[in-house]
Amino acid sequence: MAGSIVSIIGKYTPRDKSNLIAILQNVQKKKGYITPEAVDSIANHLSISRSQIFGVASFYSQFKFYPPGRNSIKICLGTACHVQGGDFLLNALKSEIGISPNETTADGRFDLERVACLGCCALAPVVMVNDAIFSNMSVVKLKEILNQYE
Amino acid sequence: MSKQKNITAIIDGKPVQVRKGSTVLDAAQKAGIYIPTLCYLENLKSYGGCRLCVVDIKGIKGFPTACTTPLEAGMEIQTKTPALQRLRGEILELTLSEHPYTCLVCGDKKDCADFMHTTRKASTITGCNFCTSNGDCELQDLIETLELKDVRFPISYRGIPPERNNPFYDLDYNLCILCGRCVRICNEERNSNVLAFIQRGNNTIVGTAFNESQIDADCEFCGACVDVCPTGSISEKMGKWAGLPDRSTETTCTLCSVGCTMNINTRGNRIVNVGPKPGERTNPHQLCIRGKFLSPDIIHHPSRVTAPLIRRNGKWVEVNWDEAIQYTAGKLEAYRGNRFGMICSAQDTLEENYSLQKFSRKVMHSNNVDLYSSYPDKDLVMKIHPFLSSSFHGRTMDINKADTILILGADASVSHPLVENKIRKAFAMGRNILYANPFPTRTSKFANHEINYTAGEEYNFLYTLLAGIAAQFKEAGVVKAAKLCGLTEDDLKPFVEVLAKSRNLRIVVGDDMLRNGTGLDVLRALGNLSYLMGQKGKCNIMFTGYEGNLYAGALAGAHPDILPGFDTVSDAKAIRKWNHKWDAKLSNTSGFSCDEMLATIGKDGISALMIAGDIPMDPKLKKLKFLVQLNMFRTGLSDYADVLLPVTGFPENEGHFLTLDGTIKKLRRALPGPGKSKTIPAIISILAGAMNESGFSSSRTGVIWKEIESSIMLPAHKAINEMQKIQSIKPKSRKGTRDYPIRSNIPYDHFRYRGNSLTALVTDMQTLWKG
Repeated sequence: MAGSIVSIIGKYTPRDKSNLIAILQNVQKKKGYITPEAVDSIANHLSISRSQIFGVASFYSQFKFYPPGRNSIKICLGTACHVQGGDFLLNALKSEIGISPNETTADGRFDLERVACLGCCALAPVVMVNDAIFSNMSVVKLKEILNQYE
Repeated sequence: MSKQKNITAIIDGKPVQVRKGSTVLDAAQKAGIYIPTLCYLENLKSYGGCRLCVVDIKGIKGFPTACTTPLEAGMEIQTKTPALQRLRGEILELTLSEHPYTCLVCGDKKDCADFMHTTRKASTITGCNFCTSNGDCELQDLIETLELKDVRFPISYRGIPPERNNPFYDLDYNLCILCGRCVRICNEERNSNVLAFIQRGNNTIVGTAFNESQIDADCEFCGACVDVCPTGSISEKMGKWAGLPDRSTETTCTLCSVGCTMNINTRGNRIVNVGPKPGERTNPHQLCIRGKFLSPDIIHHPSRVTAPLIRRNGKWVEVNWDEAIQYTAGKLEAYRGNRFGMICSAQDTLEENYSLQKFSRKVMHSNNVDLYSSYPDKDLVMKIHPFLSSSFHGRTMDINKADTILILGADASVSHPLVENKIRKAFAMGRNILYANPFPTRTSKFANHEINYTAGEEYNFLYTLLAGIAAQFKEAGVVKAAKLCGLTEDDLKPFVEVLAKSRNLRIVVGDDMLRNGTGLDVLRALGNLSYLMGQKGKCNIMFTGYEGNLYAGALAGAHPDILPGFDTVSDAKAIRKWNHKWDAKLSNTSGFSCDEMLATIGKDGISALMIAGDIPMDPKLKKLKFLVQLNMFRTGLSDYADVLLPVTGFPENEGHFLTLDGTIKKLRRALPGPGKSKTIPAIISILAGAMNESGFSSSRTGVIWKEIESSIMLPAHKAINEMQKIQSIKPKSRKGTRDYPIRSNIPYDHFRYRGNSLTALVTDMQTLWKG
């Protein structure tokens, strides 16, 4: 576990802050999210504080701080989806799987993320599970779709 | 044409001349023109976050911020046009939309402040009347200045739970306006890097990694963020609801030998806080946890002794001063001579230690005077004297001016936080930091090169280092020494290389270097190092002693062999001088050191002791015939004491303190001592009077200072023979492990005042160490 983080970080010059984002991206690629242990190791390697690293990482939505679930749900709340009732979908989804955005279910089945446009506004409201896009969504359809994923 | 050229611009029709490179805001402030600001803070880099300092510059589009715009010659600047004021008002409205603002713009706020005090102390701050910073808030001031009457935006209360799990201060980010002062001071000025902006956009808050507590984020609780916060977002627990200070006293912190200047803000006889003067936000003399948070905590500690106590039939009885003094004087009368001993504290002022040693030498005819934290080797202080008097050139605050800092056996992060702060700053500035210590500490993170030598082999390490500098690493003696301290030539190489290039070296020597069997040899080796490095450029040595300033204590005469001003007891001329000065008959027999005093209790050695402060309890003390303790608290030692006299703490004292860089700093009385407590010189004065001795009538510190000023002045940096040549030194093997460490000090033990453990006294400190 720790060894793989060390092998990622070890490729970069110690105390060279400019590599921070590249390191974070590689850690996320390897681990799926930014673990507290990884932040510790990066802090030691680059000689910057954990808070500073977290400050940078939390600025970008690409970095996650929770372990990803087996299936990732992305719910669009962009303008078109919002107008088409994206909020209702989100609330239904929240009560259905019991988590809020940026969380993972206790059984690790789903993680939830809200996004601000998936680029197919004509099909709004849109939900994306893993790589599949589901268009013209409704609360009823949502339950059926979730059942397809284990 | 020099770069320092002054330039002239016109601000509000007034010509202003400032140095090139100044900002518009600097120029306006210099001309006495007020521009409202929120995020700007002296000593910090301009941030341009609050946008309140917008100005109108002829020929420049839009409204640039004064704090980030460099002044150019001939600029015509308007700071108070109606358009600007309206703009500022709107900016402030936006800022306030995320801050509970109802009270701020309420028409009844004056009546409310006068009559509705019962609404205070609410757990959640939803208005000024519930806010700890009410009356000391920059938003309140700005609303007055900008005459804001209403905020058109609905309150967007963020609903972040206030954090009350940190020691010393509370956090309520619902009040935060994201001016970034705390983040900037933490990163730029303190280099602690604990606070950062986390998240983005609307969700941005000031915080730590993974929202962990400040303790887990390695906060050192210096309190700089508390000082700079313009709102009630970061508020000190101690001064909460204490009201606004009505007096501010500038004094000196004596909790370590850095001797920081501190402002104690008081209201009546109570400390409100230690920090910037009321109405200011910057504390140019930054403090550490001890000065900022612990000093008020110990001064107002509920268990302070406030009346003299005498032990009768095994029980403490409160008595008045007359009775206590008569009793003590009567008892002490029987132990005049070498059976009496005096143990002083290195955290006391020069006046206090001077009075105590004078009492012992003149009244008790005993040279058994020592500081509890004195070096095991009596001669060490005497040998440090030439060092200090010849290398006191460097100031503590100038450490980062040196090109290389060599730290030897010091963990300044606990012993001298402000020294470590300067080291961190130097590291951030790209200076070379060389760190040698038996084990890694927080300083290791800020070191370019680190060596961990074997503990107890300080001397052999220095010997090897010197040999490395002289390129004699291959010699048999050096190889042996290197083996003893567990190092190889490769380990030392980076040190030698950096030192070879250094032209301005600062050596920070920790007490661990001297508190071992080879203290004197270490000192000799340091002399050689300083000589070698001094040949090429500047080299200053700073000694960072554990508890207070040992050297200052010895300078005031609290040393068995040293009279005030480093006169020696064995010097007949000096004895004559002091006999004349004090109208006394001083003994010329060398006294016992602290360790010797404690070791000879009960035998034909010490029968009576007077101890200023506290020392660790030792069952041997039970054998004492008489023990007087002068302390602020009843401690473990008090179980063996016969008399406990209540004394004042340093914020309640006047006097002088010698810092580790050789500056004599003044202590001013910020508040009176509690109850019947008295200052040490006052107690000594009446005690001596009761024993029919004169010359102690000087209960006022000023008089004592006059008496000692002439004799304790440091020899004006005179070069000492020993420093001018290389002395022959040889590697040494340690005999057994018995003599190291002589008195082992675990880190939090550093947090002591007059021997009283601050960790034991202050509950927040316990939280901190457990965390």
